[in-house]
Amino acid sequence: MPRSLAAAGALAALLAATAVAQDPRLGRLDATARPLVAGVIDSARAAGLPTEPLVQRALEGATKGAPGTLIASAVQRLAADLGRARAVLGAGATPPELEAGAAALRAGAGPAVLAQLRRSRRQTITVPLAVLADLVASGVPVDSAAAAVLALAASARDADLIDLRRAVERDIALGAAPTAATAAAMAGVFGADALHVNAGARDARPGRP
Amino acid sequence: MFEDRQDPVDRIVSHLRRPVQIDPALDGRVMQEIADGETGRRPGAAVVAWRWLIRPRQLAVSPLGALATAAGLAALVWALPGRGARPAPAEATSRQFQFVVVAPRATRVALVGDFNDWDATRTPMRPSPRGGSVWTAVLPLSPGRYRYAFLVDGSRWLADPAAPHARDDEFGAPSSVVTVGGS
Repeated sequence: MPRSLAAAGALAALLAATAVAQDPRLGRLDATARPLVAGVIDSARAAGLPTEPLVQRALEGATKGAPGTLIASAVQRLAADLGRARAVLGAGATPPELEAGAAALRAGAGPAVLAQLRRSRRQTITVPLAVLADLVASGVPVDSAAAAVLALAASARDADLIDLRRAVERDIALGAAPTAATAAAMAGVFGADALHVNAGARDARPGRP
Repeated sequence: MFEDRQDPVDRIVSHLRRPVQIDPALDGRVMQEIADGETGRRPGAAVVAWRWLIRPRQLAVSPLGALATAAGLAALVWALPGRGARPAPAEATSRQFQFVVVAPRATRVALVGDFNDWDATRTPMRPSPRGGSVWTAVLPLSPGRYRYAFLVDGSRWLADPAAPHARDDEFGAPSSVVTVGGS
């Protein structure tokens, strides 16, 4: 029994050392999380998924002092979401698109919405997906958020979509119902072309999240 | 030159009837000039080709031939890159973003997130020059979606009240999300 324990410990140490050799940043994880996270990252890499979001999620957990098992499960869940996003968006999707797609799927958007966004917009769909996830996080029902983003996605600039999200959040903070706030912001977009006003000045100074 | 007694008309007629003396070498000189002119101004091959290209012509094409040509052009356009299995467009370059947080009585504040490996030593925030509790940091960010938070005095986590909260917060401390667009 002690011999098998020693063998298991040696194996764990070997896996941990291998993980650190693959990415030195994983050395910040504790001994429990390190081999588990490294295994998930290896699998993701073999599947052609971006690994940087997984590393960042693990580092977030480590910096916040989360238990190793919690970090490993969070990384594993994100890898699964990235895989689902890639299945919908296609192998040509960029890592930022996959990350935003994973967030949108986690927020509750259906795969059909992601696929429709991909078809409707020639530019990158990172921002539409991120805005969709953010709107849902603000309390907007998934259907309303998806309808708003899909209505704008074909022709709006990224900045317009981000402005839409800001307008919705502002109105919600002022007490509007999320659905009504979304409808009002959409009316503003389609009404007076107000979102294009002063766009040059906005781009010239550092932005705010 | 004229005799006074002759009628003026007769004088003119007789003058015009006189044989004209022509230099015997004139014909030779004229022919030589013509030959020199032809050899000196002969257009080059490019000029000949250009004249051939711009000369209007009439083409006779059968309906079947026109349809085949149109189908070939359509197939060519369809096969061009950017059609069919459309590759994802490239992300644009980075832009400056300013992060601001109000942290009363804080001695140090760090900005940590996906953009700096969640390393609290990488992006310390600066207190406002006017004093008070406003801390700022400016970072270049490429287009994408980033999670981040503020770490106050090395132990207290703050989300950004001016940004969306991360919905998938799994570690018990709040995070925010910044989305950077490329257009």
